[in-house]
Order: sequence, then structure tokens, then C-alpha cells
Amino acid sequence: MPPTLEALPKGHEFPPTPLDLLSGWVQEYVSAVEDGAIGGLGEGLVPAMAVAALALRALLDSAKLPPGAIHLGQELAFLRPVHVGERLWVRAQVASRGERQGWILMDIHLNVGDESARPVMTGRATVTMPCPEPQPET
Amino acid sequence: MTEQDVRSTVLLAGSELAPVVKDLTQEKISRYAGASGDHNPLHTDAEFAARTQFGGVIAHGMLILAYLSEMMTAAFGQAWLSGGTLKIRFRAPARPGDTVTASGRVLQAEGGRTVCAVECRNQRGETLATGEAEVATGGLR
Repeated sequence: MPPTLEALPKGHEFPPTPLDLLSGWVQEYVSAVEDGAIGGLGEGLVPAMAVAALALRALLDSAKLPPGAIHLGQELAFLRPVHVGERLWVRAQVASRGERQGWILMDIHLNVGDESARPVMTGRATVTMPCPEPQPET
Repeated sequence: MTEQDVRSTVLLAGSELAPVVKDLTQEKISRYAGASGDHNPLHTDAEFAARTQFGGVIAHGMLILAYLSEMMTAAFGQAWLSGGTLKIRFRAPARPGDTVTASGRVLQAEGGRTVCAVECRNQRGETLATGEAEVATGGLR
């Protein structure tokens, strides 16, 4: 059972996780966001935000998002085009974590690279989530 | 140089980017949850979401960013995929039934970089997200 995101301390490093940009998944993503622009750039290119979405999905596999978590901000840098069928790797770290008035504020840094370790995308997600309810003493 | 790239060379400071307009529905939000793997009940469970500060289901922030990214892709082509940066703050939630418009304006186009102010608004004119997008366009000129 993966830990929930709120339990992770500052400095926590997520295990490097592969991202396989399978054709079926890319089609599912393009359909879900109704991206009418990416197809005009030629065959096989992946929308920039699909890489970010897949990277966050990989993180959610290793740390569960608590119900009520809210995405406050996002920074992204797209460093090279990505093609369907590529395997990428995401590395991520809890860059900061604070608590205020019952809410946790967390920054997560993302680094996505290819199989040759060339950078593909970097990013920072700012999320907030309710502090866990204190457990009753037994 | 592709047709998209040619378009990017004529975007001068003050130019408006072609907006992207999407009608949000619960079905679309649920489809995004499936594709992204983000099944936070805030996005998919009306009963749960009604008890939160938002009072109902809201769309994923990353779905709203996808609309902004589509606008940037249409305007700048591959330059967006290979040198674009996006810095966004979410201001208010987008909800099922909203019509979301992603728009942008070129603030600066010099030194091989084009900087745009970007935002998303709903049909009531409420700002959902604001920020800046930057693209390396120097190689195309």
C-alpha cells in the first residue's frame, strides 16, 4: 500500500519511474483533452502536457493523493518534442512542505528524462491538502 | 519550416493568440481522470465534492493547463514542444457546465524569446488560471 502524499517529508525522493508513451494511452489522453492542435504538427508527436500528466500519474502510483487535495500552481519547461512509443523516466522530490491552519502546502519538483538521460521536461507542482485528522489515543 | 512555425514568426508584441474554447462536462472530467489516473473524488464524486469548500465537483487543474498548452501548440508549433515554459497559478475552479476559454497575448517578442500572458476564464468572465508562457522562437526567424 503506497503512503499518502501528506505523509511524505521534505526531501523525500520518489523512486525513478518509467513512463511508457504507449500509442493507446496517448490517444486516450488526446481524446480526453480534445487536443485539436497536436495532430497538425505531424504524426507521432505527444502533446507537451501529456508528458506532465503521465509523470504525475506515475507519482500517484507511489504516493496516494489524499481526498480533497488541491492543485494550486504549476510550472513546466518542455525541453524537446516527445514521440509516441518513447520510454521516459520521471524523478521527483518533495522540495518543500509546510503546515498552516490545518492545511499542508507542498512543492514537488519533477524531472523527466529519456533513456539516454537527456532532459525532456522539468516542472514544479504546488499542491495543498488537509492535515490528517489526529488519531484517537488507544 | 512548417506552416505553424511561419505563424509564430508574425506574432509581435500585442498580438492576441487564437483562443481555445471548451465546454466542460462531468463526462469529460471523468475521462480525464481515467487518462491521468487522478481519481481524486473532488473531480469525480458529486457527493464528496459537495461537502468540500468548493461545494461541488471541479475539473483537474491539469485539464485546464491542457487547453492552454493546446493554444500554445497551435500558435507556436514545435517551438512550444521543444522550448516552451509555462508558469500558472490556479485562481478559481472550473466546473461541469462551464465554457472555458484559454487565451493569450504576446507581451514581448525579442531576443529569440516570445513571452505571453495567458489565462483561462469561464463563461461568466471569472478568471480560472493566470500565468505566463514563454517560447524560444529565435531559431525560426
